[in-house]
Amino acid sequence: MRLLTFCFRNLFRRKIRTALCIIGVALATTFVIAVGSTTMRYTTVIKEMNVLFNGQVMVVSNDTIVIQAIPIGRYTLQESLAEDIKENITEVEKAVPVLFITPIGLGEIIQPVPVNFSMGIPVENWHLIIGPTPLKGGVGHFPTNESSNEVVIGASLADQYNWAVGKEITVNGHRLNVTGVLDTKLALLNRCIVMPLRLAQKIYYSKSKRANIISVKPVQGCSQEELANAIEQQVEYANALTEDERYDMIQPVLAQVEIWNLGIQTVIFIMSLILVMTVTIMSVSERRRDFATLDAMGAPLSYVFRVVLLETSLIGVLGGVLGIAFGSLAALVLASLYTNIPLAQFFPSIFEIVPPLYMLEIFASVVAVCCVGGIIPAINATRMRIAEVLRAEY
Amino acid sequence: MKVKTVDLTRTFSVGPSKITAVNKVNFEVDKATFTAIVGPSGSGKSTLLNLLGLNDYPTYGKIFIDNTDTSLLSGRERRKIRLFHMGFVFQTFNLLPTLNALENAELPMSLARKSAREQREKAVRLLKTVGLGDRLYHRPKELSIGEMQRVAIARALANDPEVIIADEPTGELDSKTAKEIIGLLFDINRNRKTTVIVATHDEKMVEVTDTIYTIRDGKLRLEH
Repeated sequence: MRLLTFCFRNLFRRKIRTALCIIGVALATTFVIAVGSTTMRYTTVIKEMNVLFNGQVMVVSNDTIVIQAIPIGRYTLQESLAEDIKENITEVEKAVPVLFITPIGLGEIIQPVPVNFSMGIPVENWHLIIGPTPLKGGVGHFPTNESSNEVVIGASLADQYNWAVGKEITVNGHRLNVTGVLDTKLALLNRCIVMPLRLAQKIYYSKSKRANIISVKPVQGCSQEELANAIEQQVEYANALTEDERYDMIQPVLAQVEIWNLGIQTVIFIMSLILVMTVTIMSVSERRRDFATLDAMGAPLSYVFRVVLLETSLIGVLGGVLGIAFGSLAALVLASLYTNIPLAQFFPSIFEIVPPLYMLEIFASVVAVCCVGGIIPAINATRMRIAEVLRAEY
Repeated sequence: MKVKTVDLTRTFSVGPSKITAVNKVNFEVDKATFTAIVGPSGSGKSTLLNLLGLNDYPTYGKIFIDNTDTSLLSGRERRKIRLFHMGFVFQTFNLLPTLNALENAELPMSLARKSAREQREKAVRLLKTVGLGDRLYHRPKELSIGEMQRVAIARALANDPEVIIADEPTGELDSKTAKEIIGLLFDINRNRKTTVIVATHDEKMVEVTDTIYTIRDGKLRLEH
């Protein structure tokens, strides 16, 4: 008789208790997966932001808070500052004014990650900011300097609002034409409307020549730090942030998030372990006669040990599978709630929100925790004194 | 298998007092014999059988199995003896409730790592021998008390033990079923040359045994 079948039957001898234990483990796993993947997703998105200004110094107003590469707040700079920097500082290869519009600002309710963005970039410098991002299916074109109403949009926005190439959309009361859909894996660009700087200034700052970021590329051989110092000496009202500085600003927050996440996971797993251990101790104590009989028949201690550990592992496997399924669903629901993007739109990208490796990691952890939860009951089962147990049963 | 005890003693501590359940027992059971240990409840029968079956450790004295001093054996070696050389029949059958009759009979063979095919074939044969050919896939709760004891006997025979230790095997049975079980044990003893040691107070059992011992207050006495 196969050990697995034996353990399965033993488990479901007490159906309600086993089912409740499995549900308990499944709920714990659901919570870990939902919270873990949501925070992981946000930290990934935040980390991704730096990709946009890779290798460049970001100049922002002194009063602006920067999360990675995203300026928070309504403080702007004159667009001409880019020219000034280029002319007055020799270490500068290129200075590009960018208008980055986020739907969040100080005094408003700040979501963990903003949902939609707009970005205005001088057309000739697009590649410098968004990199070599192609258009989806090669359909459409990037806006030209002459165009006053052309934009390209992120794929996620296109999916959500059913926007396609040629579609007319309205942003801040301005009618714009979609000329392409960006083909990118960056979450930020997927939720972005990218347009020429002039058009962004027209839409958001009434044609005022403002920018909120000046992206400055150092000449070869010049470090970002040297360049940032030079800019800050030259422009008193601006902050020049190197990639490292931007990273250092957000790193403590991300580290805290990860520590909290780990803390929550640990507490949840310890609770699961206690649950499994308690239930199994009860189960073993109810089956004292069975274990004593096995012992009397000469069953090796390892056999009894395996029976108990396999039973708790099965609880882990069943609870883990259910928990991962529910947890993934919960992560999608959370993503939908936080972003106001319809739930259905997240289904195709479920493995991006809850990566398979993370699922596997949590599954292995749950099974391991349940297995560990079986150790003390298994020791109890092997330490029974046969004669006493058998006599007590009469 | 020959079983011999020398001054076998087992004392239990109950609070401040000590109870001697088996008191300096010296006896010998020869190969292929049918031995009964008779005594009232609480006289020490089960304790003695647990000691003989290596399920318990004596407080004093020794047990020799085929001239091997079992006090020198490790826990693992004692298990091996129980698994390969002994079969146990309990008063309350002690069948595993989640296994059907066939699986219960297969269990000792599974523990002895015999092949699945061998386990299945032998378990079927044994269950047919004890008259349960039509009850193979029934779980213990679906069997009558007599049928459960037959499964227990089939299980005890699974690894072809040299000795069967049965603790009041007819204690829970009605007289007709008890007679059948006694007949079954007698056949096993005579046909398979298996040593049978039975604790009982069933008079019918006493009628078929080769040797009878009585036990009272832990003291064993040879009757005939």
